[in-house]
Amino acid sequence: MSDAVRLHEVSKSFGDVRAVDRLDLTIAEGETVALLGPNGAGKSTAIGMMLGLSGPDSGTVELFGTAPRRAVAAGRVGAMLQDAGTVPNATVRELVELARALYPGPLPTDRILRTAGLTELANRRLDKLSGGEAQRARFAFALAGDPRLLVLDEPTAAMDVSTRQQFWDAMRRYSAAGHTVLFATHYLEEADQYADRVVVVARGRVVADGSGTQIKALTGGRTVAFDLAGEATSGLDQLPGVRAVQVRGDRASLRSDDSDATVAALVRSGRCFANLEVTGAGLQDAFLALTSAEA
Amino acid sequence: MFSFFLFELRRLVREPRLLIFTVFMPVISYVVFTGVGDMSGSTEGVSLATAMTVGVAGYGAMTGVLSVGGGVSNERVSGWLRQLRLTPLPPMKVVVVKGVLATLIAIPSVLAVCLTGHLQHHVDLPAGRWLAVVAVLWLGTIPFALLGLAIGYSLPPQIAQPASFLTFFMLSIVGGLLVPVAVLPRWLRHIAVALPSNRYAELGWRAAGGHLPTMMGGAVLAGWTLLFAVLAAAAYRRSAGTR
Repeated sequence: MSDAVRLHEVSKSFGDVRAVDRLDLTIAEGETVALLGPNGAGKSTAIGMMLGLSGPDSGTVELFGTAPRRAVAAGRVGAMLQDAGTVPNATVRELVELARALYPGPLPTDRILRTAGLTELANRRLDKLSGGEAQRARFAFALAGDPRLLVLDEPTAAMDVSTRQQFWDAMRRYSAAGHTVLFATHYLEEADQYADRVVVVARGRVVADGSGTQIKALTGGRTVAFDLAGEATSGLDQLPGVRAVQVRGDRASLRSDDSDATVAALVRSGRCFANLEVTGAGLQDAFLALTSAEA
Repeated sequence: MFSFFLFELRRLVREPRLLIFTVFMPVISYVVFTGVGDMSGSTEGVSLATAMTVGVAGYGAMTGVLSVGGGVSNERVSGWLRQLRLTPLPPMKVVVVKGVLATLIAIPSVLAVCLTGHLQHHVDLPAGRWLAVVAVLWLGTIPFALLGLAIGYSLPPQIAQPASFLTFFMLSIVGGLLVPVAVLPRWLRHIAVALPSNRYAELGWRAAGGHLPTMMGGAVLAGWTLLFAVLAAAAYRRSAGTR
């Protein structure tokens, strides 16, 4: 199978800010890939270039072996951008029918509405939809043409919890049919649950790339915390398994890949300590550790 | 492209403000402006009542056509135009459809004001001349549609709407659409005949009198059309580049 997406050494700056910095990313056809990164990591800029909305300062961007604009013109791409709105004075069904008319091989209307969970809302005016419903309408518009590549930039931003679940179910059905899906998110849980492959982006570069499990292992570990009881902090970073040391007042927090070894060594060291606590690192914490690791 | 045209046409027809601005406002303006004073004279080669009918019809048409600026500006900022660029619909066709729809907004105004003129002041023209008046007042809006697109693609919504309104209001007053050019001060008359609005109305006045457009009028209108086309193209290109 050919590659759906290929970014090679792609860079893009806005003034002095390098939003995307020599980014390499290849996505094979049929993959479901999450682009994971904090706000400002360069995800949206990378997606904009992938869709031909803006050109890179340097490097090459290809979709299905051709220029992005060509792939878009050929109807191979559907996209849902973060802040791309819909318009007043039209219904959900009319919006879907418009998308169907623009693409060469669209899906049946009923199936589009069902996939996006909009069957009941088909005749509702777009300006009368809630934030989450509007987002689903934009999802319907993006997938109506049955594009081989579906790109979603933070698709669940305006959705509540139950809508979110419905949305991901719909996305899964779409990717299960052999389509390539790329979505950007800043939630590790979403990336892990719904993507075959997670690409972590920070400061415009890929900092990790693997399955959800691999990324979690990379960002995993526990926090060992205790009161210093007056002892100095020197040597704490030398304990086995410790990756980072943080001291707040009299309390030290050690991030550790092997909390058992860390605690055992702490006890053996003969230092004073009190109120020892071992906790699993929150995914968000772990993720922050990963994205800020490389300077 | 046709499905996009229909989609946009339906949205346009459902816009409640459109009827107010393009039908009620021009008709009320016509009734007020022609209700005072003597309407028995003649100007621009036709009766005063006929000239006013054509002038106010043109004024209504211009309002409607220029309103495309506010719409495009809103859709640009909301991201809708960007969403369309991610479909196989060529971006240039989006602009063309917007422009063509803008000119169509002229037709209800022209029909409404002509009908009012016929009823209120018994403005009577042979059917062929009525047809010619409607046709030139429709096709003559092309430069204003281009100006509206230039405004919509370059200015944010909060500024695009007042800018369109101010532009069309100045063009209407100084162009002699609401009051005959003959009553304007002499210095303003020289400006008036150089304006696209005046030459646009002139198309209608000549058609009502059964004459072909003047060479000078055609040249002035063509010049403005070219200028607005260049502005619209530049504004479009800039907006596509930055987003």
